[in-house]
Amino acid sequence: MRAESLLVPIGKTLAVAAILVWSLFPIVFIVASSVKPGQDIFAVPPQWVFEPTLQHYATLWAQWGVFFRGLWNSLLITIGATVLAVVASTCAGYAFSRHAARWLDLSVVALIAVRLIPPIVVTLPLFPIVNRLGLADTHLVLIVLYATFFVSLGTVLMRTFIDQIPRDLDEAAAIDGASRLTILWRVIVPLAAPGILAVAVFVIVFAWNEFLFAFIFTGTNAKTAPLVISEMIGSIDGVDWGVLFAASTVQLAPVLAFVILMNRYLVAGLTAGATKG
Amino acid sequence: MTRPMQMNRRGFLASATGTLALLAAAPALAAGKVLNILSHRVHQAVLGEGEGDLMAGWKTANDADLAFTTFDSNPLMDRLFREASLPETEFSLGYMVDNRPTSDIARLFEPLDGWQEKDPIADFADLAPGLIKGMTIDGKLIGIPVRTATQALFYNEDLLEQAGFTAPPATLEELVAQAQKISADKIATGMVLASDLAVFPVMFARAFGGDFLTQDFRLLPDPAAMEQALTVLAGMFADGSLPRSYATTKNDDQVTWMQQGRAAFTVLPFARAAQLNNPEQSKFPGRIKAVGFPVTGGLVGKTPMAAVVEAWAMVIPANARDKDLAWSYIRQVSSPETTLGMALNGNGAARVSTFSDPRLIEKNPLAAIEAEALANARGAFPPFPEAARAQALLLEEVQLAVMGRKTPAEAVAAISERVAPLLP
Amino acid sequence: MRKTTFLGVIPLLAPVQLLLLCVVILPALYVVWLSFHLSSFGQAPEFVGWQNYLRVLSDPAFRSAMWNTVIIVVVAVHLEMLVALGMALLCNSGVKFRRFLLVAVLAPYAVSEVVAVAMWRFLFDLDIGPVTLALQALGLPVLEWSYEPSHAMIMIILLTIWMHLPFTFVILYAARLAMPADLYEAARIDGATRLQCFWRVTLPLMGPAIIVALLFRYIFAFRMFSEVWLLTGGGPARSTEVVAVYLYQEAFSYNAFGTASATALLMVIASLVLASGYIWLLRRQVKNAR
Repeated sequence: MRAESLLVPIGKTLAVAAILVWSLFPIVFIVASSVKPGQDIFAVPPQWVFEPTLQHYATLWAQWGVFFRGLWNSLLITIGATVLAVVASTCAGYAFSRHAARWLDLSVVALIAVRLIPPIVVTLPLFPIVNRLGLADTHLVLIVLYATFFVSLGTVLMRTFIDQIPRDLDEAAAIDGASRLTILWRVIVPLAAPGILAVAVFVIVFAWNEFLFAFIFTGTNAKTAPLVISEMIGSIDGVDWGVLFAASTVQLAPVLAFVILMNRYLVAGLTAGATKG
Repeated sequence: MTRPMQMNRRGFLASATGTLALLAAAPALAAGKVLNILSHRVHQAVLGEGEGDLMAGWKTANDADLAFTTFDSNPLMDRLFREASLPETEFSLGYMVDNRPTSDIARLFEPLDGWQEKDPIADFADLAPGLIKGMTIDGKLIGIPVRTATQALFYNEDLLEQAGFTAPPATLEELVAQAQKISADKIATGMVLASDLAVFPVMFARAFGGDFLTQDFRLLPDPAAMEQALTVLAGMFADGSLPRSYATTKNDDQVTWMQQGRAAFTVLPFARAAQLNNPEQSKFPGRIKAVGFPVTGGLVGKTPMAAVVEAWAMVIPANARDKDLAWSYIRQVSSPETTLGMALNGNGAARVSTFSDPRLIEKNPLAAIEAEALANARGAFPPFPEAARAQALLLEEVQLAVMGRKTPAEAVAAISERVAPLLP
Repeated sequence: MRKTTFLGVIPLLAPVQLLLLCVVILPALYVVWLSFHLSSFGQAPEFVGWQNYLRVLSDPAFRSAMWNTVIIVVVAVHLEMLVALGMALLCNSGVKFRRFLLVAVLAPYAVSEVVAVAMWRFLFDLDIGPVTLALQALGLPVLEWSYEPSHAMIMIILLTIWMHLPFTFVILYAARLAMPADLYEAARIDGATRLQCFWRVTLPLMGPAIIVALLFRYIFAFRMFSEVWLLTGGGPARSTEVVAVYLYQEAFSYNAFGTASATALLMVIASLVLASGYIWLLRRQVKNAR
């Protein structure tokens, strides 16, 4: 017993250390490279000590104004896609969780089967259609596409989370005369918050970094940040790695900020759920 | 530099407010007409900005503005062909690489012979005839060449001196010997080459007087030359004068390896000299020089080296809205003065005379060497529907031979057997 | 349980179904049609029957790509699941700096693929990569990923786990968070050990989330592209090519839309077969939940 009480904390600390090294080592390198002088980024041997410089960020600002416009587009598209995907998945997940019918069971499987189709081939027929509809190079088209490719996962995930919420809660509310939407909004959503946030994280990260759809369906107006980054690696004039790492650090920051925020809400939502339950 | 920046910021703010409604209209432009162009960023950059805008006069004269939509090379080609396949496209001008126009692709674009007759480009005959020929598909001219990238042999003078070499190699054998000595002396890796481009095996084969695929579609016109090329490359890999990571080396790695002094030689387009010697990125600014790629000793003075050149041309989609404005743009951009202006901004010229212009020679010491290499240069292989597939097969066999998993003879036999069915 | 009426459920399902119908299902029908045609830019589609399928299936490159994909998917997804489960439980077991730890674990997910791969290439560079140097200093074998095909596969598996571990982790962590704490208290009072708690309480309750995570990771991993394309380019000598790279080449490099469509449908079938076990488990769960 005593040995265990000593071993467990040590084991935990080691595990935490391993996780940190595994996850952060490459990222620390990316961020560090964004403030390294250009010649030192891929220096032989690797430079551990260097004089930090903001040169690459200055170049990014001066020469790649289009990147910041891209960030703005990415932000709008990400928010739009996340809201759309979360709302649609929560509604559908609720329906799947609380209703039983044979055709419903089958449609869960259908939902997943549909998701097996590689997005890349769907672009072939969609390109002319989107152009015909006059939606090319708009934010809307990417919002719809990104949301669609996550509603399958979102729905299935929301169903598992809503399944865990005791049915008596919404039945009690129904007896009190609450409408279906009220139940969903007042009872289900607060209790399923961890699931909703998990779905949101996926859509956000996907929409924020997606490249293929963005390059096919946008031009100048709705051009997203990953497209601009891909131009930085352009094969004709060579890569300016410092600027590239600066851009990716800038791109990384908002998502990390969201994760930090999410964690706070997760824990808060949980305590709220506990008192209600 | 400052004016376009402000433009960007203003555009950014305008769109920031505009897009709040999610469906922003295109930013309003001052000019009456707008020419929408699909290009690589480079093509836009060499036209200059602000004070140095080479198109300023044209814009005023035509009361038109240019709206560039830029992508990296491969996405750019994909997008251009998709746009040209629509019933109508708002992109009236595009930039195309010369290894892409097959008969099917060429049909998507406007034949330009009629336009040239009606409203000719100044001194048309000065545009490199080989490039014009490359853009003439099924007897129709579909693109006007605007940019060339000719491959050169780059060397790091410092590393060569450390190994006791005072001059760059004049023959392929000298190149191999120098690379080997530099590796053996542990000064650096002899040479770094990307393994995902056909350019390099083709260059080595041509140094022995052979080729992969000629412009008239003869596959391996001299199989022995290709075998010699692969033998040399395999030998360099075996003795460490090509890096052990050869099979996953990419074009960008070549640049960083040279900038860091990890390799003494590489093959890259002449235009990369600026980046290789950029003091902010390179450990050897001003010390990385270029010469034409050398041929084998037996061919010196007999057969000139046919370096690989890649060219870009301006094309007008057949379904474009404003072909008049597009042709007017083409005329302006390919005029001798704009060609020179772009060359001074680092663009590989498509006009022969530009290279001998004193203003360019003063700015770019490599101009004369590049002109010489360009004179005998040709594409890595001609365009045909299965060209990309053929390149993939070539590269697979070359990698197997270089890493010693196949003998060069086996690889050459496999290339000829596997590529032949793909030819038109 | 509320009685299910078709009309009562439809409004809730409509948004999802409508999105999928317009964006995936209808275009997918076109893809099926296209897979029986010869098609490229500037070419009117020409009906060729099963020829595209025959061509793809008889291509040794496709078969080896399929084989590589299956190996990578099966190894990477399960390995990833074990690690993610351990991490999710660890994060919930009252470690210090939990918030920071969570951010650290999720960070790789937010890095753009291009940059992540560029960094990994440098870290594992055969001559000068810091990781390679560290391994050498410790006397451990290094990963010759640009020369040995098997090492390249290991490298791809490591990279894909690094990039996607956060995905599995988020699902499991959220599922663990949503578990009622009183169950554990009850189990403890009954005198259950840590291990018993895990087997009797944690695992059954997290089961549904585990299956969802596994299933979707199967789907995503099956179309893994950037890890391979940017890291090895399918090399050395096409030995690490995966199906998505094959598909990308057909569609974007060779512009052969017919064979690309056929490849895509073959991919759907293969991933369906590979994931069928988990789909079956998921369906059984949907039924048992009632």
